[in-house]
Amino acid sequence: MPQWGRPSMAALLRPAGWLLRAGAAPRLPLSLRLLAGCSRRPRAVPRAGVLLSQTRLYAIAAEKKNVLQEEPPFASRRNASQFDWALMRLDNSVRRTGRIPKTLLQKVFESTCRTGSPGSNQALLLLRSCGSLLPELNLTERTEFAHRIWEKLQKLGTVYDVSHYNALLKVYLQNEHKFSPTDFLAKMEEANVQPNRVTYQRLISAYCNVGDIEGASKILGFMKTKDLPVTEAVFSALVTGHARAGDMENAENILTVMKEAGIEPGPDTYLALLNAYAEKGDIDHVKQTLEKVEKSDLYLMDRDLLQVIFSFSKAGYPQYVSEILEKITYERRYIPDAMNLILLLVTEKLEDTALQILLACPISKEDNLTNFGSFFLKHCVTMDMPVEKLIDYCKKLKEAQMHTSPLQFTLHCALSAKKADLAMALMKALKEEGFPVRTHYFWPLLVGHQKKNIQGIVKVLKGMQELGVDPDQETYINYVFPSFDSVKSVRAVLQENGYLPESNTFSEAELRSEAVNGNLDYILSFLESNKSPFPLSSLRGSLILGFKRSMDINLWSKITELLYKDGRYCQEPPGPTEAVGYFLYNLIDSMSDSEVQAKEERLRQYFHQLKEMNVKIPENIYKGVRNLLDSYHVPELIKDVNLLVEREKIDPRKTVQSTSADLESTLERLKAQNQPAGDILKQLILVLCSEENMQKALELKEKYESDMVIGGYAALINLCCRHDNAEESLNLKQEFDRLDSSAVLDTSKYVGLVKVLAKHGKLQDAINVLKEMKEKDVLIKDATVLSFFHILNGAALRGEIETVKQLHEAIVTLGLAKPSTNISAPLVTVYLEKGDLTAALEAAIDCYVKYKILPRIHDVLCKLIEKGETDLIQKAMDFVSQEQGEMTMLYDLFFAFLQTGNYKEAKKIIETPGIRARPTRLQWFCERCIASNQVETLEKLVELTQKLFECDRDQMYYSLLKLYKINGDWQKADAVWNKMQEENVIPREKTLQLLAQILRNSNQEVPFDVPELWYEEAADSLSSMPVSPTETNTEKDVLKACQIKKSKDAYNSFLKAQRLNIVFNNETYISLIKLLLSKDSFTEAMQVKDFAETHIKGFTLNDAANSLLITAQVRRDYLKDAVAVLKTALNQEQVPSRLAVTRLIQALALKGDVQSIEAIQKMVHGLDSIGLSNMVFINNIALAQIKNNKVDVAVENIENMLTSGTPTVEPQFFGLSYLFRKVIEEQLDPAAEKLSIMAERLANQFAVYKPVTDFFLQLVNTGKTEDARALLQRCSAIAEQTPVLLVFCIRTSQKPGKAPVLKSLLELIPELIDKEEAYTSVMKSYALDKDVASAKALYEHLTAQNVPLNDMFLKRYAVLLKDAGEPVPFTEPPETFKFYANQLKESREKPS
Amino acid sequence: MAASAMKGAMGLRTSISQPIAFVGKIPWTTASSVLREHFAQFGHIRKCTAPFDKETGFHRGMGWIQFSSQAELQNTLQQENHIIDGVKLQVQAQRAKVVKGDQTSDEERGF
Repeated sequence: MPQWGRPSMAALLRPAGWLLRAGAAPRLPLSLRLLAGCSRRPRAVPRAGVLLSQTRLYAIAAEKKNVLQEEPPFASRRNASQFDWALMRLDNSVRRTGRIPKTLLQKVFESTCRTGSPGSNQALLLLRSCGSLLPELNLTERTEFAHRIWEKLQKLGTVYDVSHYNALLKVYLQNEHKFSPTDFLAKMEEANVQPNRVTYQRLISAYCNVGDIEGASKILGFMKTKDLPVTEAVFSALVTGHARAGDMENAENILTVMKEAGIEPGPDTYLALLNAYAEKGDIDHVKQTLEKVEKSDLYLMDRDLLQVIFSFSKAGYPQYVSEILEKITYERRYIPDAMNLILLLVTEKLEDTALQILLACPISKEDNLTNFGSFFLKHCVTMDMPVEKLIDYCKKLKEAQMHTSPLQFTLHCALSAKKADLAMALMKALKEEGFPVRTHYFWPLLVGHQKKNIQGIVKVLKGMQELGVDPDQETYINYVFPSFDSVKSVRAVLQENGYLPESNTFSEAELRSEAVNGNLDYILSFLESNKSPFPLSSLRGSLILGFKRSMDINLWSKITELLYKDGRYCQEPPGPTEAVGYFLYNLIDSMSDSEVQAKEERLRQYFHQLKEMNVKIPENIYKGVRNLLDSYHVPELIKDVNLLVEREKIDPRKTVQSTSADLESTLERLKAQNQPAGDILKQLILVLCSEENMQKALELKEKYESDMVIGGYAALINLCCRHDNAEESLNLKQEFDRLDSSAVLDTSKYVGLVKVLAKHGKLQDAINVLKEMKEKDVLIKDATVLSFFHILNGAALRGEIETVKQLHEAIVTLGLAKPSTNISAPLVTVYLEKGDLTAALEAAIDCYVKYKILPRIHDVLCKLIEKGETDLIQKAMDFVSQEQGEMTMLYDLFFAFLQTGNYKEAKKIIETPGIRARPTRLQWFCERCIASNQVETLEKLVELTQKLFECDRDQMYYSLLKLYKINGDWQKADAVWNKMQEENVIPREKTLQLLAQILRNSNQEVPFDVPELWYEEAADSLSSMPVSPTETNTEKDVLKACQIKKSKDAYNSFLKAQRLNIVFNNETYISLIKLLLSKDSFTEAMQVKDFAETHIKGFTLNDAANSLLITAQVRRDYLKDAVAVLKTALNQEQVPSRLAVTRLIQALALKGDVQSIEAIQKMVHGLDSIGLSNMVFINNIALAQIKNNKVDVAVENIENMLTSGTPTVEPQFFGLSYLFRKVIEEQLDPAAEKLSIMAERLANQFAVYKPVTDFFLQLVNTGKTEDARALLQRCSAIAEQTPVLLVFCIRTSQKPGKAPVLKSLLELIPELIDKEEAYTSVMKSYALDKDVASAKALYEHLTAQNVPLNDMFLKRYAVLLKDAGEPVPFTEPPETFKFYANQLKESREKPS
Repeated sequence: MAASAMKGAMGLRTSISQPIAFVGKIPWTTASSVLREHFAQFGHIRKCTAPFDKETGFHRGMGWIQFSSQAELQNTLQQENHIIDGVKLQVQAQRAKVVKGDQTSDEERGF
């Protein structure tokens, strides 16, 4: 370039150098600062290299993130979270593999588009990813991808700024995309985007890459006129430019020019030079330059050397690759970069060099099990490499121990990519190598042809033949037949196409398929000609389908007869009667009522033919069929089935029960005959115990003391404990010990003893029992721990400090229970109850010192604030702050101030600089407010957290709306709607739905679009009366006290008003009554109610108050009154809460009051709005009957409901869990037995599995694992009731302390863990119970199975680990739980 | 009646847990027959499954082996490495944990 003399160039560049030296940019670019920390040497501007490091990607992302955080915290939240998610996914991929797979980028792109209007940061991230991070795509495809993203996002409204144009330029450079820089600039101008220095630099690179020095210098000149600094990047580009223009001399000269301009050539410049020489194949100069760099204090990274390798091989000089490879130092970051280059080389069809680099990778081969080469092989398959070459590569990888089974892996890739020819060739190679070729290898290929491509299928089948692989039944049924119109034609078509199927397997497969197609002729002839035994169970499903699809009764009968009589089919136990009977039942059961009605005559024929053939069925199965026919309204058929009943057999399970009187006479007889009577005595005592006849049982024990056995004592002890008889139970326990000091009682009986002894002041005896529990290693279940809590809490409420302390100490030090917050709460409660706040605080702190828990700190703080105990508050805060951190302390204080109505103080706390939202704690307080209906407190919480950093405003408003809904306050709800708009909060769908519900419930118009329809419910309009100032004052006092839940103050104000004979508003009384009831001040509440009723005409409590009243009455055992209140409420057309009604029904059931329950059932009949399930009645009526010793009636009723098919409740919703749990908990053992037998019978004979599954789950739930296991063994179908089991998992995981229950369930039914609902529930439960060890095991199990885990799961696990101070083995999902919960929800709504 | 009752519903106390091994990381080359063959060396196999996805024609990498006794399962677990087709399987016991204490009801004893 003669016109480009050195001096002129230097002159041109000098001012630029000066600018740079003078530090034109006062502040280092952010990318530089970030890079400084990430790589060993900073590079101010990314160079136009092939490889883009992940650090750079991250730097750009981080830069944009910072910008984002300067925006107001509530704006773009959604975009921000979407952005973080995308960034995390892409960054993870680059970090691990040096690249982004196309599918991942596509996914992130699509998901970004779905958010509506992608933010500018997301656009940048996506564009950035379209260059060298996509080595698996060829260069043109990458640029096309970038353009696609560019256009799509623009359409979606993304506004591009200069950073986007620069990103696009970068992608062009990396992809060697040919474009016109002038046009590019014109395009920017059109979009009114000002180019900046980076734009110019990249345009210079673009010119230089094609050797256009003239173009480059034009831009340079332009930069000069604009006084823009010229950096090393420009010089490096010029090196490339001159080299590509064929002028190596000037390329080399640039370095001198740089020095003259005051810029020392850095690694980027040398790299440009190295690449230039490499492109010319000039190994000598490359070596010289490398030596020069080595001698300088500069340093080239492995990544740079990889680029030189790429330049050599791309330019056609692969022979020099090894020399450069020798110089690689294998830095830590090397592997991902090498992987990227290897893939790129394969894409560029330079696979030999790729292999060379791969084989040089320093991979640990210790365990001989590495499969590092997989990514390479996979990409080779994708790029359609010739099979010979692939096979050769496989051999080389195997020799180099880079892959344990390369051929198999490559085959897998070929099969996944449906490359049939390649797959077949690979299988041949496998066979030649002596590896087995298995049937299922061909399945993916068959799947690929399942669009009726007969030729394709025949080709695969022939291929199998060639390789000597016989298709099995599964192959035919699952992968061949589906492609044909009929199974019959398969054989013919296959033969036509020159494929002769191996006869036996094929016919068996045909049979199974023909059965489904209703071809009974075929089945009959097959069964007749078949030689080998065939179990009916494996045929049953197919046969039934076949029967229903044919209607040839003669064939039905013939086949049935054959099954019944032929030695090949049903002769194994339980024999043909049972097997065929069961088959008939299943047949009828599988038909719908209309089907049976339509085919009545044919069925009759069928039964008569069977009768002729002398086919018999057992009576119990007949009953099942009868019930079915009854429910189908074809009772006329019953008599026809009845013909088949085998008369002589009786159900052996129907044993006669002996009564206590019978037993007693037997006992006396045995005694008289001087025979051993221990057994009968024990049975008798057990019966008396179940009849709660303590006196008689004790008398018998006295009388026959010498015949007493351990079991009898155990039952007696329990009985006495139930009857609160401490003396006698202690005596019995001593006698029990004397009889056999090593005998062990059931856990619940020990607990009963502890309870009754502690209650009656026999503290030391109680502790001794606890010690014995430890010594004898009694099984401690969750329920046991809960019982301990109740014992302690009972003592605390009675104010027995010593009892609480000593029992707690014993329980914890013996290790019977972990010192949880829950079980330690009574230690504090006992002082709170006494009003001794100093001691309460001490007790809480003491718990922290001993057990690292802080029970009831919120309550303690509230009390301290109420009493104004400044010093103690200070002490508490100092302690919390020191032990749990300042943030926790601030939240504790904030909530306590809110709770006590000190809003100003609360405000000050939440405005502390640096405080940020803690979603779980906020949610906890919201729930608390909702549960106790503290409207003002919650309103204040929402108001005060408005500016709180990272506060989920939508969630806060959602909580508020929930409370307004409870109170039916639509005006306030409407105000929330406006406030949310003001605050710029974007409501989630559920918030809008809730708001709509509230408005509709009050007959208000909904100002936005929500699809569902709601029943109308008239709002309670309360008439307000004119009032005088004093009235308003006392009334205000009452209301205010009500709002802050100071029931005593409120009540005192009421008394004051009463003395002045001031009458309040209806609503005020209702509020007061509600508050008093919620504080369990029943008497006071009744007093207020009486006053209101006598002073306001027609005063009635509203729904909510009546519900509370019922609950309070239930708690006090005033059940009759409660029923009366319910009746009144219902007469006034109120809708009492479901909870209150349920509590009442449950209490009645425990009293055995069947009539009242039935009365309630009548009262609420047709009132769907309460939401009471029919099952509440079914469960509780049964329980009440059982309490009345009418177990058989209960069982019979339930069984009838389930077997007669009366459509009261569908079997799958027929939940008896409550009944089962009560029966087990209350130790109503005879009832439990009968219910269990019933459940099993329903399962075995009627295929109704819900009850037995529920029973099983309740055994698990109450810790009776062994019983559950035995039940499962008897009825294995339980394990298949996946929906029921999963619902149980989900529900159980919502309660704390249930991890052991879920663990035992999974031990019993291990396969359950692979269900997503199951493992997410279990993880939730582990997280809730802080069971790190189990969570770890679960995580490892799942990752070992390659189960794709969702972010929610990972988040939970990560938080659990972090809380336990353990490292998290993956990047913790950065968003909140809420975010992932919503993400999950969304993904479930979208069928993917 | 009471005695039989106790042995019924509430006294389901045969404490034999299911001898099942869960097998993970099964290579794609291995179907249930090969699994069965491999594990048969440790005992009698009652059931062996490795479900396939009919949409893809590949299995999902896991399976279950049910033995007829605990001893056989224990045999299996004592083997440190289970390698099929050059791939180390992940074999886990799914036996019940040994429950503390005596699980027999106190009321049932005394004879």
